[in-house]
Amino acid sequence: MSMIEIRNVSKWYGQFQVLADCSTQVSKGEVVVVCGPSGSGKSTLIKCVNGLEPFQKGDVVVDEISVGAAKTDLPKLRARVGMVFQHFELFPHMSVIENLTIAQTKVLGRARDEARERGIKLLDRVGLKAHAAKFPGELSGGQQQRVAIARALAMDPICMLFDEPTSALDPEMVNEVLDVMVELAREGMTMMVVTHEMGFARKVAHRVIFMDTGRVVEEAGADTFFGAPTSRRAQQFLASLKH
Amino acid sequence: MLGQLDFSIVGPGLPFIWIGLLFSLKLTLVAMSGGIVLGTLLALARTSSKVAASRAAAAYVNTVRSIPLLMVILWFFFLIPLFTGAPMGAENSALITFTAFEAAYYSEIVRAGLNSVPQPQRFAAAALGLTKIQALAHVVLPQAFRNMLPVLLTQTIVLFQDTSLVYAIGAKDLLKAAEITGKNYNRPVEMYLFVALIYFSICFCLSTLVKCLQKRIAIIR
Amino acid sequence: MNYHWNWGVYLEQVSSGDERYLDWIVSALGWTVAVSMTAWVIALLLGGVVGTLRTAPNRWLVIAGNAWVEFFRNVPLLVQLFIWFFVVPEFLPAELSRWVKQDMPAKEFFTATICLGLFTSARVAEQVRSGIQSLPRGQKMAGLAMGFTLAQTYRYVILPMAFRIVIPPLTSEFMNIIKNSAVAFAIGLMELTFISRQMIEESGQVFESLLAATILYTVCAFAANRVMAFIEARARVPGYIAGAK
Repeated sequence: MSMIEIRNVSKWYGQFQVLADCSTQVSKGEVVVVCGPSGSGKSTLIKCVNGLEPFQKGDVVVDEISVGAAKTDLPKLRARVGMVFQHFELFPHMSVIENLTIAQTKVLGRARDEARERGIKLLDRVGLKAHAAKFPGELSGGQQQRVAIARALAMDPICMLFDEPTSALDPEMVNEVLDVMVELAREGMTMMVVTHEMGFARKVAHRVIFMDTGRVVEEAGADTFFGAPTSRRAQQFLASLKH
Repeated sequence: MLGQLDFSIVGPGLPFIWIGLLFSLKLTLVAMSGGIVLGTLLALARTSSKVAASRAAAAYVNTVRSIPLLMVILWFFFLIPLFTGAPMGAENSALITFTAFEAAYYSEIVRAGLNSVPQPQRFAAAALGLTKIQALAHVVLPQAFRNMLPVLLTQTIVLFQDTSLVYAIGAKDLLKAAEITGKNYNRPVEMYLFVALIYFSICFCLSTLVKCLQKRIAIIR
Repeated sequence: MNYHWNWGVYLEQVSSGDERYLDWIVSALGWTVAVSMTAWVIALLLGGVVGTLRTAPNRWLVIAGNAWVEFFRNVPLLVQLFIWFFVVPEFLPAELSRWVKQDMPAKEFFTATICLGLFTSARVAEQVRSGIQSLPRGQKMAGLAMGFTLAQTYRYVILPMAFRIVIPPLTSEFMNIIKNSAVAFAIGLMELTFISRQMIEESGQVFESLLAATILYTVCAFAANRVMAFIEARARVPGYIAGAK
């Protein structure tokens, strides 16, 4: 059963086409890594999945709900899809624990104590329970991104979207974030991950999607993709990453 | 009431209003050029390493900026004759007042402009053997002025609007001329609306110009 | 310079009545503060709403908001004041028009307050808009991604941060509104500028009259500055450096 289905999505900014007829799907429990050179449209594609970026053609279906349909309650859908951003996007004016509870109480309608308990549990899980009362600005980048993951998990999402979660981090902080993601993948979370971290992809990805100039150029099992990529662009891309 | 509006008096009133507008423009231009020159000197004094000069300039700028323009207009109008011993016309008093007042505001803009030029530019100029004055004239000020051109113009639009405050000392500017015309023809409502339209047209055109300029400067950077 | 100093003038009786000049000044200070504060509340409320609407994903709201700002920013405050005082009453329904012109209590105060409030609201709206737009775009996305509606995203994510960003520019607007309230003299509101002119006329003590008003304006502006600095300190977010992303 596919959790996310992207069907022939095209998107234009004015005259410029950023996505051209993109199709793929992510099954329940599957981890899919989307990679490609910068400007290939991968970040735009993942933002189409929860409707943060509108698209002009095609459709995205998440858990049998159409993202493009006019009558779809997007906030309700988004509440069930977790998302982690490149620049963390924690809310700077709220403490860490408030960041984790605000949507639980305001969107899901959970009681404050329940939301707090859930938040603390997740902070503990990402190793940041001691920082609950601090503000985002007082944490390192790696810590902030772990809080952001916990914030998304607090909503009990049916799947998680990661938009270059480690590319804004200093190198020494990348692993603490990847470790959390690996653990999540091993627990069976459905994940769509835009990243350049090929080590992560090798370790946990079931499938890899390679994008270039707004198109899905290659789609293969992780072993096949890293072992013998078929397209020239993918070969060049992998070679460039080795240097 | 709308149906009773009668703008036919605008025609015969125009020559008089034109004279008022000319004075408003003259006041704006004099205060702008004088204000920018004095303001630049004040800004240089403030950023200089001579403590006395920097303190004096700061005191002047901060004092003027903390007082309503209307009060400054009154101060100059009543105090200048006390010093010179002879009464001074409202128009001349306005020219002096606005130049001195605007200098304080322009100096803050120039100071920000000077700070916007990166320090290494000064080092580079010094490394080429330019004297401090040469560096200022050929390297720092040209860059600073380009950066602050939109803000200088915006301040000038504000200045043009503020010239209407010479009303307080009875100088015959655009607003005063319109008011007198309105009284003479017994059509004050129409004249206030007309003068508002003139101010709006001039300021709106200028501020649209500033926006275009801002975009172009942003591209050059 | 031939000037007869008289620092005792404040305690002397005014020639036209049995009050002292000091009483005049105190009541003038009251009017200045009342006009400034009331207008400031109007400016904050209206300016906050208009500024926020100017960032809305709706073309007509943006155009309406822009028109509001351009209209109030491109006509001199004094001209706006005359329009509120002399022109607007002419366009009211007959009954209301007559009441405003003849019977309305504290007419000068209300006219000056509305005029100054709307004038400043345009400037506040401009600050609020640029404050909101200076926030990283990802913040709005993060709010939406968590399932907030657009209204909730503004309420919980965008506006609380925008509010903090606009405090410094709003501080100078608050000080400006006090200085700008001086124009109210032109329609006869007996605030500081009006009274200092009156005092010059009656007592002839130019220097003392102007000095009293000037010092009081400065004190008010300084007080406004301190109030805003207090709010700024209270609203400070730990670890967050304004402007850093």
